[in-house]
Amino acid sequence: MKRNQCDPPSSVRAQGLALFVLLPVLAGCDGVQSALAPAGEDASVLATLFWVMLIGAVVLFTLMNGLFFYLTRIRVHAQSETVARWLMIGGGIVLPVVVVGTLLVWGLSILPDHRQGGDGLRIHVTGEQWWWRVEYWPEGADEPVIAANEIRFPAGERTELVLESAHVIHSFWIPALGGKMDMFPGRETFLSLRPTRPGTFRGQCAEFCGASHTWMAFDAHVMEPDAFDDWLAAQTEDAAAPASAAAERGAELFGREGCGACHAIRGTDHVGTVGPDLTHIGSRTTLAAGRLGVSQSDFQDWIAHPDALKPGVEMPPFDHLSDDEISDLARYLRGLE
Amino acid sequence: MTKDDAPQADEDRREFAEEADTLWEITIAPAIWALHFLLCYGLMSLACAKDLFPAGTVRLVLIAASVAALAAIVGLGLRSLRQWGALKTGEITHPRGTPENRHRFLGHAAFLLSVIAFLGVIFVSMPLLVIGGCQ
Repeated sequence: MKRNQCDPPSSVRAQGLALFVLLPVLAGCDGVQSALAPAGEDASVLATLFWVMLIGAVVLFTLMNGLFFYLTRIRVHAQSETVARWLMIGGGIVLPVVVVGTLLVWGLSILPDHRQGGDGLRIHVTGEQWWWRVEYWPEGADEPVIAANEIRFPAGERTELVLESAHVIHSFWIPALGGKMDMFPGRETFLSLRPTRPGTFRGQCAEFCGASHTWMAFDAHVMEPDAFDDWLAAQTEDAAAPASAAAERGAELFGREGCGACHAIRGTDHVGTVGPDLTHIGSRTTLAAGRLGVSQSDFQDWIAHPDALKPGVEMPPFDHLSDDEISDLARYLRGLE
Repeated sequence: MTKDDAPQADEDRREFAEEADTLWEITIAPAIWALHFLLCYGLMSLACAKDLFPAGTVRLVLIAASVAALAAIVGLGLRSLRQWGALKTGEITHPRGTPENRHRFLGHAAFLLSVIAFLGVIFVSMPLLVIGGCQ
């Protein structure tokens, strides 16, 4: 039988009774952006910590209320001083010290794990408003593979993430793969992740960063290592040439409208670095940092009215273009696989 | 009320003088905890963030400082336990306002503060043992 992703690890499964109470809410814990459906080593550690603390809290809560009930409803008369004293020393000093001490040692023992070195691949992510600038540095690389707004990981390998921010504080978080890490302007932070289960998960900026903070997300794809290598090799290639008449008209429009002042498309004259690199935008699974899908109409909507979809975005609307022109532009960009 | 019954300021002052002199002693154990905390966080950040000292050496120095702090707190705790006298007399609380009661109460308070300072120093020292370096 396939194991439900929400199940707690077997070490705590014995506490099934407490879980039974929670069953109605467990249905909500699966999904692409859930720390309770871990798809990596680091997220599993946190999920275990969560389950142990939750079950422990439920047990303590029940014990405390049971004791309260017992002393106020069942055994109402005065207790002996000795019983009261040992209850206070045991329950008020010894038990909290042991519980907090144990959790502290456990927490400290897993604390350095998210900073351990990786197996070779380093990904440099910069938080922009409101998107993600991404550079892949494979082991021994002299220059990075530039991408944006999605992050791909080889499954089973530990990948290092070097994080920083361009303007304000952001926070990098892929709940299914691990804990979060803040991104600061002018300071690098470090995180390493070892995803284990291939699939597509969702990352989200976890620190309020302005009007479109909510729309600052991305897809995180965990791939089999061979597939990842093929994908990365394809990403190093220059952009594909327009493959249809419509796409050719779109490419011409891209130049005429000055899109290249902000966006780079490798293999063309467009080398702007203000906005996301579009060299392989057609191969991504979301548009505008997780805001939209990648259908023809999504591209057209975004080009015509970015501000309506992402308040405060720097990209101007191109609604002065005709519907046909916007459609051509969209076709060109979607062809950049 | 006659004049003779009125409390006399001088008498009060004399009565409390003995404890007033030792009142500050109950703060020694928490103060050791605070200094130990400052020392740990100060030295470790100078070693890790500013690279002023080697982290391994700082760790050993701080572990030694922790042992010394714990030993001092245990010493203070035993002294205040004797002052409290609960083990000998079996009296835990001291509800009467006699000088003897005040003396024992201060011992009681100092002992409990030593216990919490001891636990505080252990919790602050835990990263030295579990984490090790500048991870």
